[in-house]
Amino acid sequence: MAVTLFLISIITFTVTNILPGDVAMMIMGTQSNPAALANLRESLGLNDPLIYQYGRWIFGMLTGDWGNSLLFKQPIGPILLQKMTASALIVLLSMTIALTLAIPLGVWSAVYKNRWQDTAGSSVSILGVSLPDFFWGIMLILLFARALGWFPSSGFVHPNEDFLLALKHAFLPSLALGLGLMAHLTRMTRATMTGILSQEFIRVARAKGLAEKTVIWQYGLANAIGPVMTVAGLQMGYLFGSIIVMESLFNYTGMGWLTYQALLNRDMPLIQATVFVIAAVVMLVNLLVDLLYPIFDPRIELK
Amino acid sequence: MSIFKKFLNFKGIIGITLVLCVILIAVLAPLIIPPEFATRMDMRARLSPPNMAHWMGTDQLGRDLFYRVMLGARTSINIATSAVLMSLVIGLPLGLISGYFGGRTDNVLMRLVDTLLSFPALLLALTISAVLGPNLQNTIIAIGIAFTPYLARLIRGEALRVAQMPYVEAARSSGATNSRLIIGHVLPNIMPVVIVQSTISLAFAILAEAGLSFLGLGTQPPEASWGLMIQASRDYLDRAPWTALVPGTAVALTVLGLNMFGDVLRDVLDPRSQS
Amino acid sequence: MTENKNPNSQIDTQIDAPVISLDHLRVEFETDGGTVVAVNDISFKVFPGETVCLVGESGSGKSVTSLSLMRLVEFGGGQITGGKMLLSRDKKQTVNLSQVDAGTMRSIRGNEIGMIFQEPMTSLNPVFSIERQLTDGLRLHTNLSASETREKALELLKEVRIPDPEKRLRQYPHELSGGMRQRVVIAMAMACRPRLLIADEPTTALDVTIQAEILSLINRLKRETGMAVLFITHDMAVVAQMADRVVVMYQGNLIEEGSVDDIFTSPKEDYTKALLAAVPQLGQMAGTSLPSPLNIPGVAVAVKPVREVIDTEKKTLLEVKNLVTHFPVYGGIFRQKVANVHAVENVSFTINRGETMALVGESGCGKSSCGRSILRLVEPTSGDIFLDGKNIISLNGRELRSARRDMQMVFQDPYASLNPYMRLREQIAEPLKNFGLATRSEVDDIVRDILEKVELPVSFLRRFPHELSGGQRQRVAIARAIVVNPSLVITDEAVSALDVSVQAQVLNLMMSLQDELGLSYLFISHDMAVVERVSHKVGVMYLGRLVEVGSRSQIFENPQHEYTRTLMAAVPIADPKKRNISNDMNFKPIPSPVFPVGHIPENPIYEEIEDGHLILRN
Repeated sequence: MAVTLFLISIITFTVTNILPGDVAMMIMGTQSNPAALANLRESLGLNDPLIYQYGRWIFGMLTGDWGNSLLFKQPIGPILLQKMTASALIVLLSMTIALTLAIPLGVWSAVYKNRWQDTAGSSVSILGVSLPDFFWGIMLILLFARALGWFPSSGFVHPNEDFLLALKHAFLPSLALGLGLMAHLTRMTRATMTGILSQEFIRVARAKGLAEKTVIWQYGLANAIGPVMTVAGLQMGYLFGSIIVMESLFNYTGMGWLTYQALLNRDMPLIQATVFVIAAVVMLVNLLVDLLYPIFDPRIELK
Repeated sequence: MSIFKKFLNFKGIIGITLVLCVILIAVLAPLIIPPEFATRMDMRARLSPPNMAHWMGTDQLGRDLFYRVMLGARTSINIATSAVLMSLVIGLPLGLISGYFGGRTDNVLMRLVDTLLSFPALLLALTISAVLGPNLQNTIIAIGIAFTPYLARLIRGEALRVAQMPYVEAARSSGATNSRLIIGHVLPNIMPVVIVQSTISLAFAILAEAGLSFLGLGTQPPEASWGLMIQASRDYLDRAPWTALVPGTAVALTVLGLNMFGDVLRDVLDPRSQS
Repeated sequence: MTENKNPNSQIDTQIDAPVISLDHLRVEFETDGGTVVAVNDISFKVFPGETVCLVGESGSGKSVTSLSLMRLVEFGGGQITGGKMLLSRDKKQTVNLSQVDAGTMRSIRGNEIGMIFQEPMTSLNPVFSIERQLTDGLRLHTNLSASETREKALELLKEVRIPDPEKRLRQYPHELSGGMRQRVVIAMAMACRPRLLIADEPTTALDVTIQAEILSLINRLKRETGMAVLFITHDMAVVAQMADRVVVMYQGNLIEEGSVDDIFTSPKEDYTKALLAAVPQLGQMAGTSLPSPLNIPGVAVAVKPVREVIDTEKKTLLEVKNLVTHFPVYGGIFRQKVANVHAVENVSFTINRGETMALVGESGCGKSSCGRSILRLVEPTSGDIFLDGKNIISLNGRELRSARRDMQMVFQDPYASLNPYMRLREQIAEPLKNFGLATRSEVDDIVRDILEKVELPVSFLRRFPHELSGGQRQRVAIARAIVVNPSLVITDEAVSALDVSVQAQVLNLMMSLQDELGLSYLFISHDMAVVERVSHKVGVMYLGRLVEVGSRSQIFENPQHEYTRTLMAAVPIADPKKRNISNDMNFKPIPSPVFPVGHIPENPIYEEIEDGHLILRN
């Protein structure tokens, strides 16, 4: 795990340092005195060898000093925390929506494999996968926000202030993301279940006289949870990419929105911080899924 | 002949039809439609809904959406295909070697790939695009690089599985060299997965280009791509929803067709996916 | 009332009514290629206390028949389109299972009829505990409370003689061995004291000693409860041991039915005769010293025994000396080596030209690893392998590749040993091209020639593997092996996956090729009866060691080592008059050859009791 984090940091640092654009000029403006610019560069340590810059950055992160954002002219740390909370709300909500819909739909499709229910189910899921997230977003805005006015179409409210309102703001973006996610998870669930349902122990369970519902939803599903959870974990990565677009569409100021602003404005310290944090969170989520796996499947031992 | 029968189901027919349509449009439209049709502005008719003069309406600069969407097809398909090709060119040899030889090489390479997989693909593409400066070529490079880790990992898994099959061992014991084994035995047996995955990746590449352009870090004007058209429509959603729906539907139909086609392709080529 | 001439079976002749009576059963499947009739007009009865063996090769419809009885066949797309299946229940009622509704059928399954299947490794739900899987059937069909069902589960485990039953209840299937899992499956099927037990190939996937235990367990349970047993198998030796009556099926039709003695001593139908002729019977070769082809009626085969081994100067072809192969086991956070699998432990033997040496043993004994080490498909840890005087161990990459010209391998799985995307012509020609043995024009002739030798039509050259049957694929694999004219062919369970009649043909082919080309074989197998038929020499392996080696007649007629004797005692004999599997048999569980790092085993000490007959003494 530590090795991966280390590699993540290296990759982040390398990629972002190829960014064109002069950091000093960004801070002081393009019309500034060249000498003043040179001084600033010196004091920011931009003329030091890359290794030193890297070392300073890592050391800073470890001690809690994440530097200042050029764009917002504030320390990065607190900004990250706030925006992370916002995105966490969306990510969790959309994953919940997706799983709640996908698992039953996937099992249903697998049971009725190759019959009309399966075709219906897979058509729905293909549709979900094919429409881009932001397209769903646009549709949902048009429908629920403009036409029906049930949900707001932009803005963010912190859960601590007003939980219900925060949920309202988070709902449409989460639904848009969740629908796309659900499609993929449905197909995974269906594929896993068809594999499971063809195994011998399903036949043995029927031969004991168990009701078909028990056979599928207890015996069968219990075996599918593990693989589906793993895929869901992997999809977290995809989700964190999608929030960049979705949050911009909904003006929802979370991590995605923050990253996008950073990239657009060449705010290097912020870019480094956001990219690193996102990658680290994705890695940690997958690690968590790995650690929890023995709960789903007793065959796997914790190492 | 029974292979072709498998394509003749609901999904298969729709999938193939959609894909063929899109390819035809992408290839033929630039030859038939003069480029000015998509760029000429008619400020009096701006933001008009679909009517006889403009079949799909006009955008905020009075440009005809129908022609823009047709010509945009080529850009989007071009970007997607090039990006997927690029990820194949890098990912296929990487995955093959890693999966076939295993051991230390595999460990190191896969450690690297797994690390890259922690970065969401879209984020990678956005960052690379921002770093290199957004334009058409760099969009291709960005998406290509972003898709490579996933493809490499998939191919490595398949190569690993095939390399352990008895017929590879049999060929090795009948004197085949490593290169002959990889090219003559392993490669043909992983092709089904590669083909199916490439088709699905094409779909995602189109989505990725749309997303990148939507955020302004993809294709830039005056190029016409579907993503750019959606981005341009953002401010006019209330007054003129068709400006978003037209390009959005184009993307959706293309991706839908590719996904369906890929699914049916998987059923045909990889009987293991049938239980 | 049935009259039974077999003194070994005990039918309760006071109960008249059959437990189950099939009457003109017909089962069909809808496939892409049209309607397939899997079972066509089958009628037979099974009475309480008797074992009826339903025997046939693949495609005979025997499995479909049993699944139809349980009305499980519909789940696989089958349809019962005709006939009746009459189950007699308490109070003299009978019910027609082909018409009964789903709810009633569910109450019969696992209750009045129990079923056990073939694959113990996948018959148990991997994520549920043993206790849960044993008790959910009980809770469904009886009114017992939770604690009472747990008690009953323990009782059941004791009844099937599983050691340490309390511990097992809490465990998960992957913690049990294959034999123990099959016992649990039997316990599950017996839970509600069924009147009929259907066993669908329950021992096919098990080692021979475990098979003997399970067969004797089924016999004992049958005696104790008086239930009827419908036993489905393709193994005629098992039939001879278990059956009171036999029903022979072929391609969905009932060919012949009768008592086990009648079927074995005076079969009436041609198919039955052919089936019996193709089965190698343990003990048939007593008194002879050479391998001998199987006598298949209707197939023109020269029935001459394989000729005497050539006595030339360079008699010894392969000499294996102190071969050791260890596989590392990795674990822990840093993936260090935590243990070694001692797959092959200090094995030495020789094979002469034109001779077949068999390596026998149960799973995990190392016979496969031994074969692969000789070819260096896995790297041996130490030892020497001399092929025609050259030491294979010390060869480098290029030299090894050219040395492989002289020894080839045929693998077990006919479906996985041919590249699905290559035409057969290329696959057979490939070794020739790799070794540069022939020019373009010569290759065609050689390949055609070889195909004739393995008795396949030349038109097959253009085909792909999936167009051939299992037996045909094995012939192609053999063709590929001999095309470079090797001296030694290692066959790793090459016939184990084939039907009995196909197996006989392929074995005869191998023996005639040996006769014609002077080939030597290293014949790796677990099937003692087959080994007895084809070998000159036999080596018995256990835990990676060679425990006994000698000529075939020495090993089979005078086994000395404790393990060899155990093995011989457990092999079912295809003769109902020689029943050796009847009492409650219990063998030592097969240990695994995993040892901690640094474990140095003792050097083996052999005692030679006759000329060439060596027994491990430590």
